[in-house]
Amino acid sequence: MKVEEAPNPLAEGLHDYRIADPAVMVIFGATGDLSGRKLLPAIYNLAKQRSLPAGFAVVGAAIDDISEDAFRKHASEKIHEFSRTQPIDDRVLESFLSSVSYVKVDFSRLDDFKSLGQKLQELDNNRHIPGNRIFYCATPPPTYQTIAQQLQAASLNTGPGFHRIVVEKPFGSDLNSARALTQTLQKAFPEDSVYRIDHYLGKETVQNILAFRFANSIFEPVWNANLIDSVQITVAEEIGIEQRGAYYERAGALRDIVQNHGLQLVALTAMEPPLAFEANAVRDEKVKVLRAIRPLEGDDLARSTVRGQYTKGWVLGEQVVGYREEKNVAPDSQTETFAAMRLFIDNWRWAGIPFYIRAGKRLPKRVTEIRIQFRRPPHLTFGREAMQEVDPNAITLRIQPEEGISLKFGAKVPSAGLRIRSVTMDFQYMTSFLVDAPEAYERLLLDCMIGDPTLFTRADEVEAAWNLIDPVEESWRSGAPPLGTYPSGSWGPTAAAELLQADGREWHRP
Amino acid sequence: MSAMLDTDPELVWHASDVKMVEVLDALNAVRAKFAKAEAGDSEHAHPRNCVMTLLAVVQGQGEERRAQRTCRIIGAQHPAQAIVIREEPGSRGHEVDAWIVTDVMRPATACAVECEIVTLHVPGAVADHIGALVDPFLVSGVPTYLWWAGTPPFGRAELHDALQVCDAMVFDSARFEEPYHAFRGLSRMITAEHRKLGLADLQWSRLRPWRETIAQFFTPYDRRAFLQGISELGIDYAGQGRGNRIAASFITGWMASALGWKLQRASAGAGGVVVAHYTSGRRAVEVNFRSVPKEHFANGELSAVRVAGASQGTTFRLTVQRDPDRQRDPSPDSAYRSLLASGGEDDAGIELTQRRAQWHRDVLHENRESLHHIATGQPPGESLPRHPVVLTRERRRADTARVLLTMIEIGDGAPLRHVQQIEPEEEGTLLLDLLATGTHDAVFNRSLLAGFELMRKM
Repeated sequence: MKVEEAPNPLAEGLHDYRIADPAVMVIFGATGDLSGRKLLPAIYNLAKQRSLPAGFAVVGAAIDDISEDAFRKHASEKIHEFSRTQPIDDRVLESFLSSVSYVKVDFSRLDDFKSLGQKLQELDNNRHIPGNRIFYCATPPPTYQTIAQQLQAASLNTGPGFHRIVVEKPFGSDLNSARALTQTLQKAFPEDSVYRIDHYLGKETVQNILAFRFANSIFEPVWNANLIDSVQITVAEEIGIEQRGAYYERAGALRDIVQNHGLQLVALTAMEPPLAFEANAVRDEKVKVLRAIRPLEGDDLARSTVRGQYTKGWVLGEQVVGYREEKNVAPDSQTETFAAMRLFIDNWRWAGIPFYIRAGKRLPKRVTEIRIQFRRPPHLTFGREAMQEVDPNAITLRIQPEEGISLKFGAKVPSAGLRIRSVTMDFQYMTSFLVDAPEAYERLLLDCMIGDPTLFTRADEVEAAWNLIDPVEESWRSGAPPLGTYPSGSWGPTAAAELLQADGREWHRP
Repeated sequence: MSAMLDTDPELVWHASDVKMVEVLDALNAVRAKFAKAEAGDSEHAHPRNCVMTLLAVVQGQGEERRAQRTCRIIGAQHPAQAIVIREEPGSRGHEVDAWIVTDVMRPATACAVECEIVTLHVPGAVADHIGALVDPFLVSGVPTYLWWAGTPPFGRAELHDALQVCDAMVFDSARFEEPYHAFRGLSRMITAEHRKLGLADLQWSRLRPWRETIAQFFTPYDRRAFLQGISELGIDYAGQGRGNRIAASFITGWMASALGWKLQRASAGAGGVVVAHYTSGRRAVEVNFRSVPKEHFANGELSAVRVAGASQGTTFRLTVQRDPDRQRDPSPDSAYRSLLASGGEDDAGIELTQRRAQWHRDVLHENRESLHHIATGQPPGESLPRHPVVLTRERRRADTARVLLTMIEIGDGAPLRHVQQIEPEEEGTLLLDLLATGTHDAVFNRSLLAGFELMRKM
């Protein structure tokens, strides 16, 4: 919320009322995959939910030489195909499409950006838009800097109203490139107008971590090193790299998942309570956690990290090829498809508690979860024998697919004797709220229109994450630790299990 | 969000002339059987989720079926226990007839959920003590909602008794049989009942798209000053008589209470015309209602809202219309029909009509007493009809997918047209939204009070 503005008294009491000011959203790469699959359907659904104000307009901008009508037809087809809500409401779609226009833009041509500027001016005049602009880069990351520079050269980054730019992850490929990107973006747009979108943070399930931790009073008192033994974070996918061989060869699991999703989950799990669910308060706390993570260096880089690559195997009953047999992958590729590491957060709350992260492809199933493992009771009141089948208490936050929370604890087995066995108390979101969650892009696009960057990544957050990952990447390039392999359908290389065994622990099987 | 029910519920238990304790035993047995079946070979039964108890109080078979269907819609999205209570005024004794039906939901990624609907036919004497009747059935730790499907007996002991076990009462003021008197009872109840009691009106929920659209217009910061420049509020509604003006009064009360308007005077005449004068600081705001029959609209429903004014030399006009594509009723049926009908939608016809209506309002206001006397036969000077003029036929119609058309005119700029969808307004869908967003709505309370003040002065 823009705190300097007085609230609209007529909006009071309208629950979930989130309406943006009239604005033009320019989608660069509008004819591409991201735009068609995600952005246009998300904007349509926002229109359907009455979240878009009268006057809101979309301008598609891409290299393709197509007419406005052709782009509208393209948009209509994509919305019909990919919209979360079906059937499509023709009257809403028609109204939405009437606000859609198209401008051919070659990112290398300044004149094209000036033409775009004229189009925006025209829309301002016709649709009562006070100069508000959102420039969405639905384009490959290397184009972000060019687009930002051209917008600046064409003076489209200034004027009345707000001017925001949205870029998709990855935000650079290492610390230096991330800084270079930030500098270029910040030359044209102030940091609070740069929206780095990682759709993962738009997921309801990820936001629920904060709700679980900070909307309840019973968990925070035990959420620290006094009672917690360790934390395990698993981001597993059963799929391979599909058609993304060329991209994945450059990225690998470390950059693709751990640098962003993995560390975001660490931050959300370990952060202190923010003063409010407000952009800077939340992001300040996340950055504090990332900065408090002990950097891996020296021998630790080999001892505390594991990398692996999948070989052929069986997943969900199907035989699949190994990574090196995938399309656009080098036959001697050293790219990791599995990454695991042990991290420590050097602050009061988490001192000495290991955070184990693992992420990989071609693992047995798709699952993302955070497991908080508690210490064993200090004294075995019921004797060792009675307790032999009891695991330590654990809270598991399941992010996907069966979103929920489970608490594991010991209970007496009904019998004449006294034996304790572990049982779980499960909460599944789907059984309490049998409703569809909105698509992450809908949430994030609306946040951007409203000017709420809470769920977007800030520059210092990106840099703090790269700061941790760069030494690991460098060490891995030099061969330490060696690249292990694992058969598709297993839980990673044996070194991953050994990483925990060395600490007297084992991975939880999700 | 509309819920679909594609299977019939399963009747799992029925008995006549039984005591409540037998119904309770049967319900527990039904639950235990389900838990055992779902657990299969596992030692642990699946957790049972329930987010609310919904009590529906109905009269007659029609309401009973409506309530059962709505309970199923809710159960399809939120695991709930529902109890439908139908009073049988003629029957005596203390035994009840009871039915238990169940719906089993099987989410793709979670364990099965069973929702039970208990239907009770209870003798009149028992129905007077609903609290005692259902207390053992209430699920501990989750809210209990009382949904009064018809007109709640405002001011009577039986309602007060039922409210003691409930966290909130849900009703539909569009279904009130004597809307004016019920609306008055409701406005009194806001201050009389216990403070924790939530009140939720489905008609108020139906007005949400209107409120959103009006609020949306004023949301951009550069239009915020327009709020202080509103000089006209016009509302078109279907039907005639004060009982059909609840929705229009709600909208007026909402704006007046939000923007600090003070009601100065109001008058109503035949033909459904109402003129009210408010002040906002030193500025005058004129509110007018007009009855515009529309073929597809139930009595009391709004068909258009217009807000106009000027601020800092810039004029503005917001026109919100519902379902403008639909045809008007071609046959004028009231004295003022020829004056009020416009030839088209959101175009010159409306402008012409507004000018005519303005002239008409001036004349009406000057002659309101005598017009009222002519229209009602009541003595001049009596501005409040003794009996509400309302129709008692079905006041809600089945909804289809519909839209709101918004026209925005600011200064000399070209009008801007915007279409927004309105969700289906089934009771189940509205109830779900209400139950998800909460029933303690201070804006509703203050809008109700301000709306009733206007109705009282008409």
